[in-house]
Amino acid sequence: MKRFRMVLLALALLPLTARLISAQGGGGLKISAGIASFRMDDLKSLQKYILSTYPLQGKITSSFPPYTYTSIIYFRQLYDQVRVGGGYSFSTTGGKSSYADYSGRLITEMAATSHRLGAYVAYAVTGGDRLALSLYGTAEANLSSVTVESYYNILTYSNRLYNHYRSVSPTGTIGLEATYSFKSFALGIQAGYLVDLTGRLKNTDNGNELQDPDDPTHVLTSDWSGWIAQATVTIPLR
Amino acid sequence: MRSYRLFLMLILLWSGLPGCFFTDTSVYQTEPVAGDPPNLTVSTNLDTLVDPPVNDSLEVIYGIEVSGGKFYYMFADVGENPVFESDSSSGSFWIRSSLATTAGVDTLMLEIYYSTNTNTLADKVGYDANVEQFKYPVDFNLGGAK
Repeated sequence: MKRFRMVLLALALLPLTARLISAQGGGGLKISAGIASFRMDDLKSLQKYILSTYPLQGKITSSFPPYTYTSIIYFRQLYDQVRVGGGYSFSTTGGKSSYADYSGRLITEMAATSHRLGAYVAYAVTGGDRLALSLYGTAEANLSSVTVESYYNILTYSNRLYNHYRSVSPTGTIGLEATYSFKSFALGIQAGYLVDLTGRLKNTDNGNELQDPDDPTHVLTSDWSGWIAQATVTIPLR
Repeated sequence: MRSYRLFLMLILLWSGLPGCFFTDTSVYQTEPVAGDPPNLTVSTNLDTLVDPPVNDSLEVIYGIEVSGGKFYYMFADVGENPVFESDSSSGSFWIRSSLATTAGVDTLMLEIYYSTNTNTLADKVGYDANVEQFKYPVDFNLGGAK
């Protein structure tokens, strides 16, 4: 319930920031692309459990490694040092385990995506006409989507098992961004840490929660907490 | 000009979106080492008989042993007619005289499926099997007991 309220709060910040944005002049669009690490402890343990059910010793070839993190933010310059805005960000990662020999193959693929919508604020700590260093933060509502697909092809036999889970959780980011302004745009880099308060994963077909196979009282979550590093392009808009 | 540049940037961003999704094309490939082939032993109550007669019916008692492997399934047929099938490695079944249309010697065939011990995925999940056939002549005495 507490998490749900925080998601609502993050979403409620959107119209507020929109009002602030419309009240002031001068703004722009900030597009960022980069890489982020993700905790994903529960999904990593689920992946290990699935591997343990293989009839032969398989191998995890990827386990939720650092992967893409992109975002697009519309902002307004509220004061000389303060920018507020709102936007969308997206990140993805996944895992794969497999076993294959000349008689067939058994593969489990897990894919996780995160769609986040929320508010953005940045405070310029120092800077001149061209170079600026800012602290920034976001508060977002996060929709996680996790698919777990296992399939095999053994001799002439094949089968596939597919499950899709979703969760909603509040997330927040805090970080530093450095930008260098050119005549009509600005380039920058930013680094930060995202905290995900995690949401319980539910099956999209039947609504059942994804239980921990080792502890049925525990519901598995996706945890997007981790470090972020991005390159940014900022385009001023009139 | 500025809106054109912005539009171009958004198009570039959109076109790069599929590349953002996680992919892993690697597959863990192994070369399994095969174990010793399993040893199959089948015994029946017909082993010591020569052309046992089927007057009205004949009970066949069987036992199957697979050392160093797993027994999967067995089928019993007389000619083209299925008589019995089971996943039990021991048991019995009856051959009825109604199975034969003409009198004389016909063949009871036992078909045994058991593991290959190749240690492959197919072997471990039971999708790969050795098949061995055992034949026993039986004599159908149509028209009643002698």
